[in-house]
Amino acid sequence: MTTAAIRTSGLTKRYGHVEVLKDLDLEVTEGEVLGYLGPNGAGKTTTIRLMLGLIGPTRGRAEIFGLDSHRQTVDAHRRLTYVPGEASLWPSLTGFETLHLLGRVRGEVDLPYRDELIGRFDLDPSKKVRAYSKGNRQKVVLIAGLMARPDLLILDEPTSGLDPLMEQAFRHCIHEAKERGQTVFLSSHILSEVEALCDRVGILRAGELVDIGTLADLRHLSALTVEATFDGSVPDLTRIPGVSAVEVEGRVVRCQVAGDVEPLLKVLAFSGVHELLSREPSLEELFLSHYGAGSGDEGVPSDAH
Amino acid sequence: MLTEASGEHLLEVQSVPALANRAVEPTAPPGRFQTLAVAHATARKAVRSGVILGLVVGLYVLVQAFSYTSTYKTSAERAKLASTLTSGGLSPLVGPARQVQTVAGYTAWKCLMALTIIGAIWGLLTATKLLRGEEDSGRWELMLAGLTTRRRAALQAVLGLGAGWGALLAVASAITVAVGRASAISISAPSMLFFSLSVASSAAMFLGIGALTSQLAASRRQAAALAAAALGVSFALRMAGDSSPALGWLRWASPLGWVEELRPLTSPQPLALGLIAAFSLSLLAGSVYLAGVRDLAASVLPAKPGSRPRTALLSGPVGLAMRLTRATTLAWLVGIATMAWLLGSETKVAVKALQDSSSVQKALSRLSGTSGQAKVYLGLSFVIVALLISLLAIGHLTAARKEESSGRLDHLLVAPISRSVWLASRLLLACAVVTMAGVMAGVVAWLGTGHGHDGIGLSSMADGGLNTAPPAICLIGFGALAIGFVPRWTSLVLYGVLAWSFLVELVGGLGLTSHWLLDTSVLHHMRAAPALAPNWTSGVAMIAVALTAGALGIAAFGRRDLAGD
Ligand SMILES: Nc1ncnc2c1ncn2[C@@H]1O[C@H](COP(=O)(O)OP(=O)(O)OP(=O)(O)O)[C@@H](O)[C@H]1O
Ligand SMILES: [Mg+2]
Repeated sequence: MTTAAIRTSGLTKRYGHVEVLKDLDLEVTEGEVLGYLGPNGAGKTTTIRLMLGLIGPTRGRAEIFGLDSHRQTVDAHRRLTYVPGEASLWPSLTGFETLHLLGRVRGEVDLPYRDELIGRFDLDPSKKVRAYSKGNRQKVVLIAGLMARPDLLILDEPTSGLDPLMEQAFRHCIHEAKERGQTVFLSSHILSEVEALCDRVGILRAGELVDIGTLADLRHLSALTVEATFDGSVPDLTRIPGVSAVEVEGRVVRCQVAGDVEPLLKVLAFSGVHELLSREPSLEELFLSHYGAGSGDEGVPSDAH
Repeated sequence: MLTEASGEHLLEVQSVPALANRAVEPTAPPGRFQTLAVAHATARKAVRSGVILGLVVGLYVLVQAFSYTSTYKTSAERAKLASTLTSGGLSPLVGPARQVQTVAGYTAWKCLMALTIIGAIWGLLTATKLLRGEEDSGRWELMLAGLTTRRRAALQAVLGLGAGWGALLAVASAITVAVGRASAISISAPSMLFFSLSVASSAAMFLGIGALTSQLAASRRQAAALAAAALGVSFALRMAGDSSPALGWLRWASPLGWVEELRPLTSPQPLALGLIAAFSLSLLAGSVYLAGVRDLAASVLPAKPGSRPRTALLSGPVGLAMRLTRATTLAWLVGIATMAWLLGSETKVAVKALQDSSSVQKALSRLSGTSGQAKVYLGLSFVIVALLISLLAIGHLTAARKEESSGRLDHLLVAPISRSVWLASRLLLACAVVTMAGVMAGVVAWLGTGHGHDGIGLSSMADGGLNTAPPAICLIGFGALAIGFVPRWTSLVLYGVLAWSFLVELVGGLGLTSHWLLDTSVLHHMRAAPALAPNWTSGVAMIAVALTAGALGIAAFGRRDLAGD
């Protein structure tokens, strides 16, 4: 068995009486780009801080290239860099000084690549951090993370505060990293970013991994969107098994169907359908259906399928 | 059923923006708390530190007044002291001695200048921290959230500072009035109130100066440095004014001089209060005005644009710590050196003054043996230096903790740097700095005595200075324990231990306490070097305690979760 870049088994974190991460089993193979999604407070940052050994697990373990991230922290860290979403940096250092420092503590840095990144992200490194806008601060940590060309990049909402142009530059860098065989763990709220970059996507909700797979897999398994236009009165579709998210606009009804479509078709067939459209859900719909059911701490044990 | 639930949530998600819009609509007036958020937040912090300063002022007055009445018992002794002090040439340092044959006169002479300076430092630190520091940290942006203008925010902050000043005045007045009621002291309540107001007036002026520099400077540090420079100039002018009657007019050019001209407890002249009030209020008003003119987080003075990168120190955690703490450390070292120099240069007169008391005279000759009374005086007064050095140590530890709570430490700890190495290096750096500060204080005090008054050798003074390091190192050990086990309480634990120790020393100085109590003070285990050979056994014991505590703290820090505020 090859060693995975990241492997967690039964990884659990409890704060007080609340388990904010429950028995997470996750494997990220080398060279893969994994998107990690979930509503606010789902436990994404907690997962990442556990993988980095910044906090310790209540149960279970996390491994980075086979090294226990709680016990062999320093060795594990030789192979990764981390980009937090909210960069708190030393206000009295300049951008350049910060990059220099972070490069030196990390060990090896690809200096020409660093300078290229500074250009690509259009950063003025001579300014003091306290004078940077939020986006510029984010660029500094992003460049610091990328410039080391580590085997594993752990990114927690890395593009928060970046403008669309910089978002583009970021995507370019991740594509490059992937081509070089680097592994990327990307937690994000930007669905288009995840869709564009990730091989696989994991969805976390209330501390539990509710779904993981390629985008195609997830689409296939989840609901179909159906739009029907009726000649006469609109029938009540909400009671049909498998149908959800029913929206009525005049004589047009939009809904989602999970699993067997036959019950819905039967009803439609007897209600004078004038036009019928069906399509796979957009990524957004996919995630909304996952996020929506019991986001936050309630932990309603429900699934769309 | 379940799918229906998810449908409802879908609708909920869509309605969120609508709700959010409603919340900021001006038609619904924002809650009162929200509109005064900055005033509340500032007042809370200012009142807390104002109360602490009020306690310090009260305690200082209490100790000085009672030690005068217990040291100089007869009016003959007091008259002798008065002639020593009036002719002693100390007035450039601490102001002229008036009516020191009375409790009131002595208390005013002994306390006013020291407390005026402490009040000024409090004022400038509090104003720059709560105005500029909070703004730099971005907290204002959060609180404001578009509800109020910058000028109004600054006005609110100034009101908050005013609340802190009021707390200082109230607490100081309460204690000093109570002290005045004691039969041995018997100073009237109005006199004590005027004295407290005089001390508080310097705090008010430097709150104003700090508020103004907070608008002028580009960062909190720069603002504090500008205000400290103002304090330095003001002190120098007053010092010149007090050095010869011909230069007396210079006092009117210095805010500290105005406070001196109030002459509380001896011959009160409330007239200068008008000047002080006008000065403070116009500074505060000016800073509110400037806050509206400039941009948030920007400065009126041209900000130094990014300078040439200086990367020499930036190669690891130790270098980074040195880079981050060097400016503050330097400021502390200057302060400690000044204090040591003052103590050294005061020695001659102070010893003579002490000789005017027959009880002290007896005690001194018993204690000092052959080594000279100047050494005893220096040895005893070096507790103040030890206190300052301990504060420097605490500053280093709270800075280390701040690295963690701010999340900046994450950047270092996700690199191949172990937590124990990081914490150990911060602790060692702190130890090195306090040791250096101690030796420096000894040497500077020696210079201050005029290169060895009364047979005080340089090496014995350096030893004496070094002797102040173990208490600070002991505190560093406690700090490591706090960081390891109760990180959020670090500064509270450290200031608590130090305040307790200092209190025990003060009470012990009045001869009111048992050996058991004294043993709980980290300062007490320091011997009165250079009078007595530094007690290295107790020094070594303290360092052993520090090492054990440090090792435990480091081990605990390696195991626990990183913790924010
Ligand atoms: N130190 C802590 N003490 C108590 N609860 C905590 C602590 N840290 C995190 N939590 C809780 O754990 C849960 C997960 O938080 P986490 O930061 O991992 O969420 P997230 O998925 O990263 O959310 P977001 O998308 O908003 O970044 C939240 O409910 C949070 O309140
Ligand atoms: Mg998060």
